[in-house]
Amino acid sequence: MPPLENVLIVNAIIFAIGVMGVLTRRNAVLILMSLELMLNAVSLNMVAFAVYGRVGFGNFTGIIFALFIIVIAAAEVALALGIVVRTFRNRATANVDEINLLKW
Amino acid sequence: MSAAEAVYYVVAVVAILSALGVVLAGNIVHAAIFFILALGGIAGFYLMLSVEFLALVQLIVYGGAVTILILFALMLTRARERPQALFGKTRPLGVVASLALLAAFIGASVGTDWFEQTPRGDIEPVPFQELGDVIFTVWIVPFILIGILLSIALDGAVLLAVPDEED
Repeated sequence: MPPLENVLIVNAIIFAIGVMGVLTRRNAVLILMSLELMLNAVSLNMVAFAVYGRVGFGNFTGIIFALFIIVIAAAEVALALGIVVRTFRNRATANVDEINLLKW
Repeated sequence: MSAAEAVYYVVAVVAILSALGVVLAGNIVHAAIFFILALGGIAGFYLMLSVEFLALVQLIVYGGAVTILILFALMLTRARERPQALFGKTRPLGVVASLALLAAFIGASVGTDWFEQTPRGDIEPVPFQELGDVIFTVWIVPFILIGILLSIALDGAVLLAVPDEED
């Protein structure tokens, strides 16, 4: 197995790529995809800590947290895509910088 | 370097390159395809960390459900019919901010002593049965709550997406 530092660095790279997508993209669906990358990197981190610290005593907390994160992410993506489709019907755009109803 | 470690780095390169594809691709549908590949890479990470259960859940939930939802959203918002700029005006700032965040994370990972978290010996696979026992005894209340949350969220998504009567 690779040392824990390398696992954490790989996860940090994936998380930073997700942050870059959220900050640079315009389309709401692409932003959601980048958000999913960030969530995946975080749950990978939890699993890495759970697995590397686990030898000798049974500790499933990190793994169960990752499972819950996957469920939350599935709920979040379903709800957010519903909102995106609804917004597209009302405003005929899926770009977050054109959805400016609240902008004064 | 052992064989398992080499496989881990190959999977890492695939996952990172396809994640970059999600963020940088100039075509929305290509980005979605790269997204599927990145999720497959993350399922591979779970396998390498010997958590087979999570790898299966990842493939079913993300590879199946989330990908289909995203492709349908792309189709319903007609993302391909009207080509337009995919990146916002603040793109350079976003790139700089994410690189700064990455530098902070890498600095923290390298600068910490992980001796406590270093396994002595091989990592055993996480047994399905014990995991199920723990979920349905210790974690049963959060498990039920998250089931309720999931059904409420999916009902809300349907309510949001269904057209109004007057439309």
